[in-house]
Amino acid sequence: MFDFLTHDMLAVIWFFLWCVIWGVYFIADSFSLGAGLLTPFIATDKVQRTQIQSSVGPFWGGNEVWLILAAGGTFAAFPLVFSKMFTFLYIPMLLLLIGLIARGISIEYLHKDENPQIQKILMLGWFAGSLLISLVLGVAFANFFKGLEIASRGVYEGTLLGLFSPYALLGGVLFVLMSVTSGALWINVKTEGAIAAKAGNLAKKSTLIVLVLALVYLAYSFVGIEGFTINYSATPALYLLPVLAVVGAVLAVFFAKKDRGFPAFCSNLLTLLFVVESGLASIYPYMLKSSISPEYGINIFEAASSHMTLSVMLGGALVFVPIVIIYQLWAYTLFKEKIKETEQVEY
Amino acid sequence: MYYKNKDENWRKMADFWGRIFKINFAIGLVSGLTLTFQLGTNWGAYAEFMGDVFGPPLAVEALLAFFLEGTFFGAWIFLNRDRQKLKAFSMWMVALGTNISSLWIIIANGFMQHPVGYNMAADGSKVVMTDFLALITNGYVWYMMVHTLLAAYLLTAFLMMGICAYHFLKGNNNEVFKKSFSIAVAIALVTAVVLPVLGHGYAQYVTELQPAKGAAMDAIWETGSGEPMYLIQIPDSSTGSNSVQLLGIPGLASFLYTGSFSGTITGLNQLPHDELPPVEMIFWSFRLMTILGSLFIIEALLGLYLQKSGKLYTSDKYLKLMMWSIPLPYISITAGWIVAEVGRQPWIVYGLLKTANGISSVPISDVLLSITLISAFYLILMIFEIYLIKKTVVNATGVE
Repeated sequence: MFDFLTHDMLAVIWFFLWCVIWGVYFIADSFSLGAGLLTPFIATDKVQRTQIQSSVGPFWGGNEVWLILAAGGTFAAFPLVFSKMFTFLYIPMLLLLIGLIARGISIEYLHKDENPQIQKILMLGWFAGSLLISLVLGVAFANFFKGLEIASRGVYEGTLLGLFSPYALLGGVLFVLMSVTSGALWINVKTEGAIAAKAGNLAKKSTLIVLVLALVYLAYSFVGIEGFTINYSATPALYLLPVLAVVGAVLAVFFAKKDRGFPAFCSNLLTLLFVVESGLASIYPYMLKSSISPEYGINIFEAASSHMTLSVMLGGALVFVPIVIIYQLWAYTLFKEKIKETEQVEY
Repeated sequence: MYYKNKDENWRKMADFWGRIFKINFAIGLVSGLTLTFQLGTNWGAYAEFMGDVFGPPLAVEALLAFFLEGTFFGAWIFLNRDRQKLKAFSMWMVALGTNISSLWIIIANGFMQHPVGYNMAADGSKVVMTDFLALITNGYVWYMMVHTLLAAYLLTAFLMMGICAYHFLKGNNNEVFKKSFSIAVAIALVTAVVLPVLGHGYAQYVTELQPAKGAAMDAIWETGSGEPMYLIQIPDSSTGSNSVQLLGIPGLASFLYTGSFSGTITGLNQLPHDELPPVEMIFWSFRLMTILGSLFIIEALLGLYLQKSGKLYTSDKYLKLMMWSIPLPYISITAGWIVAEVGRQPWIVYGLLKTANGISSVPISDVLLSITLISAFYLILMIFEIYLIKKTVVNATGVE
């Protein structure tokens, strides 16, 4: 299969797909993460909590699979990167895992028991899980863009504390706030009543903060991160990516102010997607960039699987990714009504 | 089922068992992540060695199965009752997803048991896939797949019978539980009988491919023909023999392993000493699994007899037995997996990579931390899950 493509071409295609899958994951999961981050603060009673839960409940599971596909795809297409990424970032990955488990269980079990004490714990679990996921991923990706302390052929010299540079922290905060904005706008669009209005007002402020933070973060990337501009200088068309991120942030502020929830929601997703892609575009051909010296980084060509594996996987992805996207979008149409205050979930 | 029959009882059944499934599935949905993660965090060297072969089934599993499960699980739970057709469709999609999922994970595991369709890289650092179809048509995969799926159906049937038994004991002899019990007992009987019959062929097949695992199942130390099978036997790997062996049935071991009473079995002492698995563990797990397996047949037969003769709802002893039998299939399945996975030791990929060479180079303190945290977390989840299931079961007296 795909014999007309060389191994290097397949590796590049898979790097592109890898960037796409991560991008889809970030935008798909952002609103359920944001809803989890917001619930303890904006839901005043069980009715509102149930409204938020019902607005993300049908979708979070299917959306999280994009993260598993990103991990599984990395494993299949770039085993070396998969191994090193998880080994180097052992503790952050552990935190991410715990966040994912806590978040999932909390959403599913939130109202399976009437005991208010248990519901309180699960709401906190949902919040803490969502915070861990968005913070860890934000910090991790900022570190990928900045480069990990990889020395001489895959020896990692970084420490846990070393991961929390100002740039990485900025990245973490930006990801959390983009998720919060996404969640607020989603609640605004998907629910009715007091909670929708409250979320809409919150988004007016958070879109502004996201705009400022995104500008600072992108500026920091281009000016303060070594090697970030190399690919941009070679291919100026790439500048479109950060520009789109900023355009999205500006539009989000504009639409949120006008109480137009859905376009504001989409604009915010645009920012999220292109902040991620701007960074990923800068590290090519490396997947794990080294901050010590470029040649120590792990590049896509040495990390890629065999021609056979890459082409089998490409065939699978070309057939099934569109099918998945179609039925996931179809699932959204099943739940297009706004969730009213009177609605009760059945289990 | 309800959608087809429009019979209220079927609807109640689907709702009740669905509720239990949903509690269980939520845990499965999130805890499965741990495996994916630890392949990278703890088994980094393995991931590099095996990525070319192991990665594709995992990625295909995500694409074909996880998306189906994840997407339609949400739809199944949150769709309103008046959209029964879509709800039923979603439920079937989840079921389809779980079955596809089990196939792909076993394809990946099958390679570790019996590597096929690969070449070693020129420098010996990793395996390279040469034939994707061979991975799927691997004989080991299909033995394991059928065995695992049947065991899963058996477990479910026993869980259902146990829960029904609880309600019969409390006098809730309504149609929902009666119907559920008759379905469950039929599934239990069929699976309990088919499992050892096919399992027997599976064991012979395993013994051909992995003689050490095969010999360890029955603790055969010395190569010989016409080997007896001992009903009472205690193996001792420090001496390389059995410290106790009584009541031997002549030739039976040979017959079970080879199909002939005078067949030759390779003994553990004739295999390379540093490639032997922990014999006692395999032996006792295998015995436990087969003894429980026999018990399942008896319990299922008894259940069928009692139900047909109408004595079921008053046979308190049998009902109590069935209630307390709920954990047994879990134990039996775990024992089976111990035989399959520990029996392969010291290999993580049979004949190609030793387990000790598959681990990540991370500080031991990190590994300890992660094991402690994850175990504690799982324990809490398990307690919570059992609590919720119990509540669902107890509250279901008048199932609506």
